Amino acid sequence: MNLFEKIFNYQIISRLDDTGTFMVTAHERSWLKAMLQHPVASDAFTPETMDKLKSMLTKDEQMETSAHLIEKARSREKQVYHPLLRPLRRLIMNRSGIRITHCLRSGKVYSNQLGVPYRLEYSMVKREWYLLWHHVRNRAFMSTKLDKIISVTEEALPIERVNGILERIGQTLDNRKTEVLIEIIPHYNPELSRILYALSCFEKEVQYDAQQDTYTVEVCLLGEEKEYLLSKLRFLGKRVRVLEGNYVKKRMLEASTKALERYGVLGEDNL
Amino acid sequence: MAKESFDKEIQFLRMLVLTSGAYNRQQFAKRLGISVNTFDKTIRRLKEIVQATYQLPEDQGKEFTEGIRYNYYDSADPMLLFLFRAKSLKESESQRLSLLLGALSALSLNVHELLDYCMNALPTNLPLPDEKTIRKDLKYLEEVGVIQKEGDVRPFKYAIRNEFIRELTEDELLDLYDFVDVMANTQTPSVQGYLLRDGLKKQLIRGHSDKHAVEPFLYKYHYHSRILDEAHLFTILDAIRKHRKVRFLYFSPKTEKSYASKNTNPLFERETEGKSEKTLPLKVVYDHQYGRWYLLSYGREGIRKYRMEGITQFEEDEAVDPAWFEEKQQELQDKLRYSWLIDTGAPVTVRAKFYNPGESGPNFVKQRVLLQGQWGQIVEEDGDSFTYQITVNGTTEIKPWLRSFGSSCEVLEPVRLRREMIAEWKEIRAYYESV
Repeated sequence: MNLFEKIFNYQIISRLDDTGTFMVTAHERSWLKAMLQHPVASDAFTPETMDKLKSMLTKDEQMETSAHLIEKARSREKQVYHPLLRPLRRLIMNRSGIRITHCLRSGKVYSNQLGVPYRLEYSMVKREWYLLWHHVRNRAFMSTKLDKIISVTEEALPIERVNGILERIGQTLDNRKTEVLIEIIPHYNPELSRILYALSCFEKEVQYDAQQDTYTVEVCLLGEEKEYLLSKLRFLGKRVRVLEGNYVKKRMLEASTKALERYGVLGEDNL
Repeated sequence: MAKESFDKEIQFLRMLVLTSGAYNRQQFAKRLGISVNTFDKTIRRLKEIVQATYQLPEDQGKEFTEGIRYNYYDSADPMLLFLFRAKSLKESESQRLSLLLGALSALSLNVHELLDYCMNALPTNLPLPDEKTIRKDLKYLEEVGVIQKEGDVRPFKYAIRNEFIRELTEDELLDLYDFVDVMANTQTPSVQGYLLRDGLKKQLIRGHSDKHAVEPFLYKYHYHSRILDEAHLFTILDAIRKHRKVRFLYFSPKTEKSYASKNTNPLFERETEGKSEKTLPLKVVYDHQYGRWYLLSYGREGIRKYRMEGITQFEEDEAVDPAWFEEKQQELQDKLRYSWLIDTGAPVTVRAKFYNPGESGPNFVKQRVLLQGQWGQIVEEDGDSFTYQITVNGTTEIKPWLRSFGSSCEVLEPVRLRREMIAEWKEIRAYYESV
């Protein structure tokens, strides 16, 4: 199987677009056939749709990669699909309001909150789904684990109001972004590729000072994402140093101090 | 025509994504080992592909680098997918193939009817095809599974294989799109899934769904460059299946030696020559910790490990005895059993104490250890902490993971690793002491 097929050529794709032609290759069908073997597939379709798909794909070969492909450092696959994905994605698509009852970490239950669903977000780290939504009364941007949602129903809201809220969510998210500036300690430049790979999951900008042979990375993220950035920074250890971003710097100091205390190598007088 | 290679484009895009914005044209070209002229040509070509693929008007073409910059809430489209649209094609052929598919999507036709159709519909500036050409096109389209022959009466009719949109209701199509989106984003390999997602997405948009309808999902966090290496994946897997040796020109991403001699960054300062390798591929490894791919093989020196990103000019060579291949593959598998990633060194037992977060609420430390701790076990537990134990090949690969827990993790054994951790935390603390 060659991924660089003529049929995937950009000129063909854009011409097919112009004429509204739908095209699908054996490559894609064989991938789909393999994915339908995954246990979660039954959560994604009604039994009738599943039967239809399977019969459409009978003639196709199933892609086989598992025999010679090993995945390492993979998180346990806790959740790939969630029963709420299907109804929620339709509510998002229809720009409806919602009435949601959910509980917090503490177990406290919030009943019948009026909201507007924004997106469904999957955390590759925690392997779980979240609903991102706007809490109308509190005017707050919320992220609620689907597992913590007790019930959610459609609630009619004027479309103009929903559109206004969705637009504001976009602006709010933009406004809430902050920057953290990270320096790659030049001594570790031989590991540059590894370091940049580790940071490649963030929205970022790299600067290179040719005279000093020094790289700095400006990571742009939302406040609540700082925890994840911090775990990456601890992951990289002494290879990187935070130059700008007081909260992150403080937390790195705290982590290193506490860690040394754990190891019993930092006396009170050293603090 | 020589086989078209996309090595340059792949290297180029990888560097662009990893070092976004760091280098000017000269620096960029130098690190890729190409001339500035070639650099400009490559960027022009990629820009053209991006513009056509996403149907951007000229003025929105922006700066190329800016255009493909990652912006999380903007879109869940995999930003590097357009690489797989890069296969070059003659204008006349791309016109013909799209015309044929357009005609067949309306009704089944035979070769003569299709020839007539092309004669009428092709722009006058293009050469008119003959029957032989159309037959060749149809054969190709059949091979890639886009169309199929119908019935057994000559002349055969051809039909487009668009069962998905023909037989599924709009609601079912939405379920299919969602499934493809979720699986392409969470499973490996993913490129074919992303290509399918792309086709279905366009179909949904044609059915008047807006952006909100076709992009309800976001994924946090992705290693965007991971899909570049899938370009090699299937050719390598194919060689493994056939027990064939392979040859390639390898550019090692870690060239410590050249780093010592040249006072520049070695990683993107590629040797112009590369190293010619011939080896027997045994397994491919995808490392989720960094989003990187490896080829593990057997060579004269025993087990060899290559980063897939350094592999260029890949070619198959002679086949080996299947029994011998099995033996070598089994040997490798045994050695990889305790590899956190791909280390095949001597196994050691690592014991670490993890401290539960103080406040009431979920124990996110334990949750993360259970989720990411691979085959390690929790061997002791009390109210405040638990001890995790794992046998791994060497400690280098597991160390960053243990360190990422910060003060919630204390390495107990081996003592050497414990000492290394202490030394490293001291250095890190020194960075921030003045805060």
